[in-house]
Amino acid sequence: MNATVKRRKIISLIALSLSTGAALFGLFWLIFILFDVIRNGIAGLSLDLFLKDPAPPGVEGGGLRNAFIGQLEIVFFATIIGVPLGILAGTFIAEYARGTKFARVVSILSDIMVSVPSIVVGTFIYSILVKPIGSINLGGFLGVLFLSVVIAIIFGGILNFVVNRILNNISIKNPATVKLINLSVVLTTVLFGLITFIVLFPKFVDKIYGFNGWAGASALAFIMIPVVLRTTEDMLTLVPWTLREAAFALGASYYRVIKDIVYRSAITGIITGVILSISRVAGETAPLLFTSFNNQFFTTNMNEPIASLTVMIFTYAMGPYEDWHKQAWASALVITLFILLITVIARSIIHYKFGKHKSQ
Amino acid sequence: MKRIFKVPFADVSFGFVSFLSALLILILIISVFIVLYKESSPAIEEFGVLKFIFTEDWNPVKEIFGAAAPLYGTIVTTILALLFAVPIGIGIAIFLSEISPSFLKTPLGVAIEMLAAIPSIIYGMWGLFTLAPIMKNYVEPFIQKTLGQIPIIGALFQGDIMGVSLFTASVILGIMIIPFIASVSRDALNLTPNIMKESAYAVGATKWEVIKDVMIPYSKLGIYGGIVLALGRALGETMAVAFVIGHNPEINLSLFQPATTITVTLANEFTEADTDLYLSSLFYLALILFILSFVILAVAKYFLIKAERGFKR
Repeated sequence: MNATVKRRKIISLIALSLSTGAALFGLFWLIFILFDVIRNGIAGLSLDLFLKDPAPPGVEGGGLRNAFIGQLEIVFFATIIGVPLGILAGTFIAEYARGTKFARVVSILSDIMVSVPSIVVGTFIYSILVKPIGSINLGGFLGVLFLSVVIAIIFGGILNFVVNRILNNISIKNPATVKLINLSVVLTTVLFGLITFIVLFPKFVDKIYGFNGWAGASALAFIMIPVVLRTTEDMLTLVPWTLREAAFALGASYYRVIKDIVYRSAITGIITGVILSISRVAGETAPLLFTSFNNQFFTTNMNEPIASLTVMIFTYAMGPYEDWHKQAWASALVITLFILLITVIARSIIHYKFGKHKSQ
Repeated sequence: MKRIFKVPFADVSFGFVSFLSALLILILIISVFIVLYKESSPAIEEFGVLKFIFTEDWNPVKEIFGAAAPLYGTIVTTILALLFAVPIGIGIAIFLSEISPSFLKTPLGVAIEMLAAIPSIIYGMWGLFTLAPIMKNYVEPFIQKTLGQIPIIGALFQGDIMGVSLFTASVILGIMIIPFIASVSRDALNLTPNIMKESAYAVGATKWEVIKDVMIPYSKLGIYGGIVLALGRALGETMAVAFVIGHNPEINLSLFQPATTITVTLANEFTEADTDLYLSSLFYLALILFILSFVILAVAKYFLIKAERGFKR
């Protein structure tokens, strides 16, 4: 009896030390990487890196100003495109379509999409936004289409606001009239969008041709949308249903409930999701390789190929020059610190917000 | 009393716009399939499915393309990376949930989450500049001298050592997916009800027996989900591998030779493809990768949903 107890205790000790050992071994590599990036990165950091454009290959000096600016620009526009779409879609499946099969399918599919290989996203965006199909410039077409839709939605919002303001003081007793007014606002918006498209199309269609910054931003937005969607959905589900019922009881419409009650209670969580999605795409390289491509020169024009820090790191690290390697390490440090910083911010928001909730 | 009818335009249009956004997600996923299939159709017609998968040649000059070499590289690196990362990841998870003193749990947990956030290009670059020389000078010669002498297994470790190899790529990939496995498994292990652990302790189980016979069976599905999720990530990883695998479209039995994966082939050749068939074959590779990872991620999701349901019961 005693012997088996002893044996079991020894086995337990061995197994526990093994898993402690595994943990130490794993952590060792991870700390090794961080330490190496910091050590080599600091050695390569200089003010020139941020203030100068790349020198010709083989020439010492120069910096990566164009890549820093390009990276910021691409991530900024990816956020502008991806975040509203993600939040709106998340709102739809958490509010309007709550509990339906459609919501479930979209939710599961976007969970899968979060982990779809980013290089596949790159090839997909390449074939719709970069590569012309025969004589049709699909990229330009979709770009103008997107632009007109956005303009039309903004126009519709303003029109609706104005109409609301005017009609607020007039009593309309007939529901049919209300419907008619709604319909006419919608029709005007659609018509406005169509006209915008027709006017803008010949002017802008050939602006985007070949590799361009918009394609890079769209590829990153493609990766951001499911991340934002899922966090928005989770955060909205956390808002207690009774809170909405209280607002409904006061006669608020669903839109007002979402805008003034649900978003207000979930805003911290949604912002955290947005920050996390930015940290997810800020270090992506693969989807940019054949969308925004690379550019040795300084440009802020999103219609052209545009340099990004990550693609630059790839090119420089694979290149033959010692000076390039140094700059690649320094950029790697900058990008790692940036991502770790925003991740820490997001995590501490979660901790602060939900830690407080728990203690209540 | 004056009744005021507000025009509920905002209500309707907000619902409609948000519905369109949700629909866009579905449309995007379906159009990835359609677009990749359409782009790769010339190559599908030319090479067929089985012939493409089992042809080893990748010759842009003669326009003969086969996916065997990149597919082999992808599968081998993924399997090796999992062999490396799964025990360590689960070890970390067990350490974090049961062994670690409580003041270390939060900082270590945060450290793991942060490491999962480091971009893959950093892992790749570190692999090229730091790990590859270590592999070349110390690890690979050592393995060659020991394991390489055993008759049958030895064939895996032959050839000139360059540091840039299938083996190095697998190690980098393994290091990269450790945090994923660790954090998902830790979350799964933490969901074991305390009362179950306590009852096991009460009948005299040792700590390891509680972990092995109570916690792991209870959180099995969650751990499987984490592993399959990591598998999906490893399959589609580009940058961590691109630096250290050497992009050599051949199948070598030896793990110490340069090889290639689907993602690396795409990253290196996509912008250089000059003929339609060449580009179309690359799209074909992307399609295969997309389908593979989609199926694997769906399986992971299935495990995780099942695990969640189990916990709720």
